[in-house]
Amino acid sequence: MRTKKGIAAILSIIMLVGLLAACSGKTENNAPSASPDGAAAPEASTKLDPVTLKIMIPGDRPRDFDAVVAEAEKRMAGTLNVKLDVVFVPWADLAQKTQVTLSSGENIDLIFDAPWLHITQQIAAGSYAPLDDLLQQYGPNILKNRPQAMWDANKFDGKIMGIPNGITFVQGRVYYVRKDIREQLGIAPIQTYDDLMKFAYAVKEKVPNMTPMIPAGQDVTKGLSEASFRHYWKDNTANITPSPALSESLVLYTKNNDGKVYNLFDEMEPMVWSWIENSRKLYQDKIIHPDVLAIKDTGELAKQGKAAIIPNNDFGVKNDVQQALKSVDPNAEFEAVTLMNLDKGAVLTNALQYNFISVPAVSKNKERAIQFLDWANQKENYDLLAYGVEGKNWEAVGDDQYKFLNDGYTWFPFAWIWNPATDRQDAGQDDVTKQLNQWGADVNNFTLDKLAGFTFNNTAVVNEISQYTSIEAKYYTAMFNGVVEPNEYWAKFKAEAAPLAKKIQNELQKQIDAFLAAK
Amino acid sequence: MGFIKEIMKNRQLYTLAIPGIVFLALFSYIPMFGHLIAFERFQPVKGIWGSEWVGLDNFKFFFGSQDWLRVTFNTVYLNALFLIFGIGIALLLAILINEATSTLLKKISQSLIFLPYFISWLVVSLMIMAFMSTDGLLNQWLGQLGISEVNWYQNAKLWPIILTLVYVWKFSGYYSVIFMAAIVGISNEYYESARIDGATRLQQILHITIPSIRSVIVVLLLLGVGRIFFGDFGMIYGIIGDNSILFPTTDVIDTYSFRALRQLGNFGMSSAVVLYQSIMGIAAILIFNKIAKKIDPESRLF
Repeated sequence: MRTKKGIAAILSIIMLVGLLAACSGKTENNAPSASPDGAAAPEASTKLDPVTLKIMIPGDRPRDFDAVVAEAEKRMAGTLNVKLDVVFVPWADLAQKTQVTLSSGENIDLIFDAPWLHITQQIAAGSYAPLDDLLQQYGPNILKNRPQAMWDANKFDGKIMGIPNGITFVQGRVYYVRKDIREQLGIAPIQTYDDLMKFAYAVKEKVPNMTPMIPAGQDVTKGLSEASFRHYWKDNTANITPSPALSESLVLYTKNNDGKVYNLFDEMEPMVWSWIENSRKLYQDKIIHPDVLAIKDTGELAKQGKAAIIPNNDFGVKNDVQQALKSVDPNAEFEAVTLMNLDKGAVLTNALQYNFISVPAVSKNKERAIQFLDWANQKENYDLLAYGVEGKNWEAVGDDQYKFLNDGYTWFPFAWIWNPATDRQDAGQDDVTKQLNQWGADVNNFTLDKLAGFTFNNTAVVNEISQYTSIEAKYYTAMFNGVVEPNEYWAKFKAEAAPLAKKIQNELQKQIDAFLAAK
Repeated sequence: MGFIKEIMKNRQLYTLAIPGIVFLALFSYIPMFGHLIAFERFQPVKGIWGSEWVGLDNFKFFFGSQDWLRVTFNTVYLNALFLIFGIGIALLLAILINEATSTLLKKISQSLIFLPYFISWLVVSLMIMAFMSTDGLLNQWLGQLGISEVNWYQNAKLWPIILTLVYVWKFSGYYSVIFMAAIVGISNEYYESARIDGATRLQQILHITIPSIRSVIVVLLLLGVGRIFFGDFGMIYGIIGDNSILFPTTDVIDTYSFRALRQLGNFGMSSAVVLYQSIMGIAAILIFNKIAKKIDPESRLF
C-alpha cells in the first residue's frame, strides 16, 4: 500500500510537470530578452546602453547570417551598442505568426508588414507607432534614401506608419515563356499578346505532354488569373485597375485616372468582358490546364517542365525556377516576356510600396530601432546586411551591381532596408531585365495616380467586404480562367454580390471624394 | 462535509486527476472567456474588457449571406458521412483482423491500415492530385480500359464520395485499434460456450462481439457528434483549396469563414463563427445523448 501511494504521488507530479513544461518553457524564453529591454527603456537614446533589438522578418535564415550579425554588432559597438535578435518567419506562416505576435503584445522592436499582408488592419488596430517624429530626429539616412514621392504616397491617414522598402514605382509583370520550345517551333520572339497566343496554340498542336498555359487559379493569386492579368498590358489604354477597396479584383475598378470608382455590375466594361470571353475560349481549346483551379502552385509545374507559359510578378526569370527547370532538362530555358506599355507616362503609379517595416506600439526601444535602421541605410552597412560579408559572400560589380559568390547569404533587403539609393542590381541578370528594373525605379517614367496616398478605411463596410469576398471566391477565378460559361456565371455572381459591391463602392467613392477635396 | 470526506478518502486517486483537471482548466475553460470577443469590435491592444461592445454585429456577415445554410449543411453532411463510414468500416476491419488466426498476419495488417493516419493532409492532397488530375493516374487507367476520362476536379457531385473514401482510408485504422482493444477485453468463455452450443463464426460476431463493444461504439459516435459542426479544415482546405467549382458540395463552415476573413484578420467575426459552431455542437451532443440513453442507458456520456 505504501509503495502504491508513493507511485501515485510520483506519477501525478511527473504528469503535472510535463503538462506545465510547455507553458514554463515559453516564459523562460522571454525572460532574457525582456530584462535588457526593460532596463534600457526610457533613457536609451541619450546614454546608449547596450540594447537587443528583436526584429521579425519573413524568409529563411541564411547560413552565414550569424557571421553578418557579428560583423554588424562589431561595427555598432561603442556607438549604437545594438545587438540583433532577428527572427525569420517562414513565408507560409507569415500572416498568422505576425498577427499573433502583434495581438499578444509580444515585445518586438521592428516587424515586417505590407499592404498585401495586414498593414492597414494592424494600423487600424493600433499595433504600430507613428514614425514621423522619430524619423525627423533619428532617421536622416532613411529619409534621404527614398524620394519624396515615395514618402507622400505611403502614408496612412497622413502619418508614416511604416518605412517603405522598395525601389520601384510599378511591379514588373511578365509571362515566363519556354524559350527553347519557342525556338524549336521556329517562332520569333514574342512582342504582342497575339504572338503569345500563336505560340500557345503551336505548343498545343506540336508538343505532347505539355500544357500551353497555366495561369493562377487560387483566390489569393487571382490577379494572376488569365483574364485579370491582361489589365497590365499595353492594350489597356484606359488603365483599368482594381480599386483600393478590394485588392486584385476588377469588379470595382478605376480607369482614365479620373478619381471615380466603376462597378462591373453596373455596366460591364467591354474590354474586361473580351478578356473573360477569350479565357473561356482558351480553356475550351485546352490551352489553359483543365485543372487550373485545383493547381496550388503554378511555379512547381513550371519547374517540372510541364508548362510552356505561366504568368508571374517581377521582371526577369527567378533564379530558382530557371535552375530547377534546367535540372529537369538541361536544354530547357524560360524567358520573361512583358507586354507592359513602356512609353513615358503611359503607366499609372500610385507609388505604393509592397514592403514595409514598422515599429510596434509595444516596443520599448523605438528610438534605438530607428537609429539602427538609419545606420543600416548607410551604404557600407547596407551592403553588409543586404549581401553579406564582402569577398566571402559577394563581390561588387561596379558601383551599383553585385554578384553572389556562394549560397551562404540570400537576398532579402526588401524585408527591412531596401531603398533606391543604396540598392545594387544582380549582375547576373540579362540586360533587358536590368533596363526594365531601371525603368521601373524612375518615378519620371510614370503618371502619378490621382489616388496616390489614399488608403481605404474599411471599418464602415467590414461586414459587406467579408460577405463579398466569400461570394467572389466562388466565381472570380473560375470565370477569369474560363473554366465556366461566362454569361451564366456572371448572372449568378451579379445576383448574389451586386448589392454588397454597391455598398462598398459608395463608401469607397465617399472616402475618395473627401481625399481629393482635401488635396 | 461529505465532499471533503470523499476527497480525503480517495486522495490518491484525486491527486492523479490533478494534471488532467489543470489541463482542462488551462486549455478549455479559461479560453471560454474568449467567446466574449464575438460580441465586440476586438482590438488586441485594448484587450477583452477595453474593446467596444457591438452586440450581434459580428454575426451579420455569416447569417446575412445566403451561404450559411449551405455550408452548415455541408459540414454536418460530410461529417456524418465520415463518422458513419469511418466507424463502420473501422469496426469491420477490427472484427476481420480479430478473426484472423495467424499472429503475423494480424500484426502486419494492423500496421498497414494504421499507416495512413500518420500522413499529413498536405501530402495526401498531393497524392490525390497526382491520382485524380485530368492527366493523372486514374484517368490513364480508365483510358486503358477504354472508358473516357473524367474531370474529377471539375465535378462537384463526386467529392463527398471521394472525401469519404479518403477519410476512411486515413482514419479507419486508427479507430479499428480502439475497437480491437475493446474486443480483446471480451472474455473467451463467451465464445467457448457459444461454440459448444454450435454457434457459427458469424453468429458469434453478431451476438457476442458487437453487443460487447456497443458502449465503445456509442462513445466514439458521441464524441464525433460533438464535433459535427466543426469541419476538418486541414483536410478540406488541403484537398479542395480554393477550387470554387467544388464549393457547392465541399465548402464547410471553417473553410467558408477562413476565405471570408483571411484578408480582414477580424477576431470578432471569427469568434462569432466559432461560438455558433460550439452552441450547435452542444445541442447535437445533448440530443444524441438523449437518444443513446433511450436505446442503451449504459453507454450514454452523462
